[in-house]
Amino acid sequence: MTIRLQIVIGVILVSFMLIIVNMIRKKKFDLRYALSWLTMLVVALILDIFPRIVFGLAHVIGIDIPSNMVFFVGLILAIIMIFTIAVSVSRMSNRVKKLTQELALLQKELDEIKGNK
Amino acid sequence: MKKLVIIPAYNEQASIKKTVQDIRDNAPEFDYVVINDCSTDDTLKVCVENGINVLKLPINLGIGGAVQSGYLYAYRNGYDVAVQFDGDGQHSAKYLENMAAAIEENDADMVIGSRFIENKGFQSSFMRRVGIKHFNVLIKMLTGKVVTDPTSGMRMVNRDIIKLFSEDYPKDYPEPESVVQIITMGKKVVEIPVIMNERTEGVSSISPLKSIYYMIKVTIAMVIARIRG
Repeated sequence: MTIRLQIVIGVILVSFMLIIVNMIRKKKFDLRYALSWLTMLVVALILDIFPRIVFGLAHVIGIDIPSNMVFFVGLILAIIMIFTIAVSVSRMSNRVKKLTQELALLQKELDEIKGNK
Repeated sequence: MKKLVIIPAYNEQASIKKTVQDIRDNAPEFDYVVINDCSTDDTLKVCVENGINVLKLPINLGIGGAVQSGYLYAYRNGYDVAVQFDGDGQHSAKYLENMAAAIEENDADMVIGSRFIENKGFQSSFMRRVGIKHFNVLIKMLTGKVVTDPTSGMRMVNRDIIKLFSEDYPKDYPEPESVVQIITMGKKVVEIPVIMNERTEGVSSISPLKSIYYMIKVTIAMVIARIRG
């Protein structure tokens, strides 16, 4: 890996991190949900600065070409994050359903009270 | 005994008034509630103008969530029996008394109005019947019970099941899945013959394109309902 590539990747990672921190600062992104992204970026940055870790790991699991190792790990992480989001969407939709139903029942009671006055 | 008719309605402006009138005329012992599932037509306006008892969902929940709102309403208001009834004119209110009698006589937890006991009236399209046959076989395999019309939207349940459904009800295409669910729990399901009409207004919630998805989804849901135990 050339030093040039390391710098390019490093700049991308740091900018992404700054964008996320700025969004947290403006309360557009909950720290709770941003944390996994920040962690991932920090890990990526460490690997960018010390690429020998990647070579070592690739050798240990038996992947010949270190770049394949990077793709492999990236893919696994992406799948985990998408899966987590799918689960949380499912939970959200149940909560929205419950709220909608309670709201409709309350609205009905309110209409009846108002109508009887 | 307090009895409630739950009428889920999504864009049924043309038929909702007639449906409610049918219940008032032919099943006077029943209260009713229309669940307006955030219709985009004038369903709500028709209901309000005609003094129809309506529950207004602020967000479209789809058939499962809408019907479940009805069960929640039934549970909170102390109903002993609740029955689902389509808002599009396919069901006839004259069978409601028979269904309530069937619940009492058989000490049943659920009574389904079935088109396929006497095979009279509108029998659905050929493809639909193939799908229903598939569910018949699947239910027999999963539960050992025979249910002739598992997709029937005309179903009456007692207070136990009202409570159960108000807490836990499938989101879409709920009928066959919830039948397996309650039979697995050891509840008693009885069917009585009814005659259904072809819908006069509006469109079915299941388009041809969606039917493949429907079959796969419901099949998996039924198997999982059985495993869940």
